[in-house]
Amino acid sequence: MKSKPILITALCCSLIGVVYVSSGLYIQAKALLAQYLLQDAWAQTLAGRARVKPWSWADTWPVARLQYAKGKVDLIVLEGASGSSLAFAPGHLQGTVKPGQAGYSVISAHRDTHFGFLKNIVKGDVLTLQDPKGAGHEYEVITTEVVQSHQARLPTLKGNKGLMLVTCYPFNVVRAGGNLRYIVYAEEKPKDIDV
Amino acid sequence: MNNNCEQQFTVDFILGICMSILAGLFASMILMTLVMLLPAKVHASEPDNKGINIVKKSEMASGSLLFKTDNLGEYYLAPTLKTDVHMRVNGMVVRTKVVQRFKNNGQTWVEGIYVFPLPEKAAVDHMRMKIGERIIEGKIKEKLEAKKIYAKAKKEGRKASLVEQERPNMFTNSVANIGPGETIVIEIEYQQSLKFDKDVFRLRFPLVVAPRYIPGNSIEVVENVSNFTGSGWASNTNQVKDASRITPPVAHPIMGKLNPVSIQIDLNAGFPMKLVQSSYHEIDKDIKSEEHMIITIKDKEIPADRDFELVWKPNSGHMPRAALFNEQKENERYMMLMVMPPDYKQTVQQALNREVIYVIDTSGSMGGTSIIQARRALQYAIKDLKPGDYFNVIQFNSVTTKLFEYAVPADQVNISQALSYVSALKATGGTEMASALHAALKNNESSGLLRQVVFLTDGSIGNEDSLFSIIKNKLANSRLFTVGIGSAPNSHFMNKAAQFGRGTYTFIGNLSDVDEKMSNLFKKIKAPLLTNIKIQWPTASKVEMWPQRVPDLYAGEPLIISAKTSNLKGNVIITGKRQQQEWKMSLPLVTTTQSNGMGVLWAREKIAHLMDKLHDGTGEDVIKKGVVDVALKHHLVSKYTSLVAVDVTPSRPTAEELKKHAMKVNLPAGWKYGKVFGSLPQTATDSIWDLLLGFLMIILGCALALFYQKESRNEI
Repeated sequence: MKSKPILITALCCSLIGVVYVSSGLYIQAKALLAQYLLQDAWAQTLAGRARVKPWSWADTWPVARLQYAKGKVDLIVLEGASGSSLAFAPGHLQGTVKPGQAGYSVISAHRDTHFGFLKNIVKGDVLTLQDPKGAGHEYEVITTEVVQSHQARLPTLKGNKGLMLVTCYPFNVVRAGGNLRYIVYAEEKPKDIDV
Repeated sequence: MNNNCEQQFTVDFILGICMSILAGLFASMILMTLVMLLPAKVHASEPDNKGINIVKKSEMASGSLLFKTDNLGEYYLAPTLKTDVHMRVNGMVVRTKVVQRFKNNGQTWVEGIYVFPLPEKAAVDHMRMKIGERIIEGKIKEKLEAKKIYAKAKKEGRKASLVEQERPNMFTNSVANIGPGETIVIEIEYQQSLKFDKDVFRLRFPLVVAPRYIPGNSIEVVENVSNFTGSGWASNTNQVKDASRITPPVAHPIMGKLNPVSIQIDLNAGFPMKLVQSSYHEIDKDIKSEEHMIITIKDKEIPADRDFELVWKPNSGHMPRAALFNEQKENERYMMLMVMPPDYKQTVQQALNREVIYVIDTSGSMGGTSIIQARRALQYAIKDLKPGDYFNVIQFNSVTTKLFEYAVPADQVNISQALSYVSALKATGGTEMASALHAALKNNESSGLLRQVVFLTDGSIGNEDSLFSIIKNKLANSRLFTVGIGSAPNSHFMNKAAQFGRGTYTFIGNLSDVDEKMSNLFKKIKAPLLTNIKIQWPTASKVEMWPQRVPDLYAGEPLIISAKTSNLKGNVIITGKRQQQEWKMSLPLVTTTQSNGMGVLWAREKIAHLMDKLHDGTGEDVIKKGVVDVALKHHLVSKYTSLVAVDVTPSRPTAEELKKHAMKVNLPAGWKYGKVFGSLPQTATDSIWDLLLGFLMIILGCALALFYQKESRNEI
């Protein structure tokens, strides 16, 4: 029975492992399941109700639906980019224009949940955004870049509407934290006057 | 037997792993249902200035002409020859002409896109493009129409230029069909009014994308105001009057370091001046008279690496007390009225005792560094209280909690109790702001104390409109000062709440800014000079006045009103409350002199206020119509109107290859940055780490179990 400590260690290791796996799965599951819960709130928003809280104690509400057909991505976007809303959905950064309106709208999400697909996006890709009135907007990806999080600024918009998608960089780092952000700039496809 | 045991063990082992995973899944599901909606564990990112800077195009110096090359996405910089800035100061109005000379050194025809910053609320009303001897005057058009005109001219090989507003303080100029070896001269003119604060006039010209600019206190003016004869010197609306309210988190980008700038200022103050100083550059003064001098930069040209600022003040005995400026334009009279409330120094000494209600947002969105900033700011504020003041602390998340039932005297005991209360504040829960506002604005009966509500929040709420109406209806004698916390507070809400609350908005983006920003705020609000200001125009006159609701005046601030009237007879009466006393001033609306530019400044002011309404829920169509009407009439660039200039004759043979270089007008050539909004949110979780670590631990556990199995078998 001298090997009893080994058994205890084995149990402890497994237990800790289970806790960690649970916590990791919890984050992933929350991100995944919340999107389903949000669909109802989004349907109500489209039906004309403003600021539909997806659950009674929520601090946020859906503001847009973002689709990237190429990557089969379909996400409901919540208002605010605080930790509590990003856990469930991409968040619209308050203080920037509302998605679908004139100007640059900034949407951010976690790289290991909703915005993992950004790493596959290339120039010329099309992103579709549905605003709360149900209107669709098509954005074309213009460029991507990596910036320091505290140095990010809104670029000058030459067209009318722009979309700036933000997530953490690099993509393959396992831990949170870090100072770099990956930014995808997209502009509404010009409809007129271009030569 | 042994074999059997082996098999048995393998099955156990696999089962064990499966069970672990299932247990993990199960546990996570349980957790999920229990705490489904608690915030994920998110690590606050530490600012790291040593980090690599992988900014690509964003590194381009601002204010340079960028040209597209044959390779998509690549640009080369046109050599910048020179920038000349000519400013004419007349009383309180400045007319500035910015002349940029660029040369196309390439072998092909090009289209250039030029991005440049101007002072906030600059009223850009003229643009001229000179190519060789040709002068092309810009015309004001609706934005889309201007774009079309430009695109057409470009296609036809005609030289054309288009000035558009990107931000109120940032403009873009596109120039088409610049021939090989040609020099382009772009002249932009704008009107602006001066900032007049604490007896000092300030004139700034943005020259650089700089770390935050801090208005210098370099000149402390100690002076007694004697009688002022309120006539004569020309002036204009002080467009920067709300600069303190909108402390912008933005430095204005300007010309890059390579771009030498010369500045000449024709300073005609309209009164004897003293202490004319440049804050950051050495200057030469050519003194024409005690009222008039010509200022140039000593080194003739300066690298554009910091903003230029000139300050001056009236000589004693000539301190302006009131001024009225007037311009007759197409049957309309435009006026700017400036009134300096008497003797602010005295008032500073007799600062009123205050009742300050601090309200702090402790909702979930304030988590992380925001709550730390907020706590720090609040502690600063509480320590700033003076004996005789009363105060209370209210925190709100899903519920509203008061520290004291009523406001209590700011004595040692109460202050230390409040400080420890504040240091224990945690961020969690919802943002039920309405009840907090009700609580803060209650007990509003006049106690003789100056009642101020300082509201610290990130404003992440959606019911702005109902909150605004609470503020409007319940404000009474209180004043609401909003303090925006965190990387991206809802600044529209903050600004509007402060406007309805007749206070100011302060933005704190960084922990390191807290002390400075809070101390500036408190210096100011300790001594409001004049409250309840009302303007009475002569009856029967039709007046359109901006701002429509006059804010309180704080120490050193002048009251500035822009108005359009039909009738200019009689007196305008300004009333207000100055420390329990009624204050009244009557000014005859008789003017002798015509001051140019009043109309433009009035129009710019009106546009600014119309644009504000975007956040009131007014439809953009309505606002756009209003703005376009005003802008077209006054020849102003705005969000919806642009200046466009087109040459009469084509210069580029259509066979030649402009298209190659400039296929699309609308490509964002200059990635200039209009607005800094602090740090981006944290956008990663530890989920992958947790999963990896967890699986590793489970595997380790299983391996140990395997080892144990073997050991025990050996023992048998």
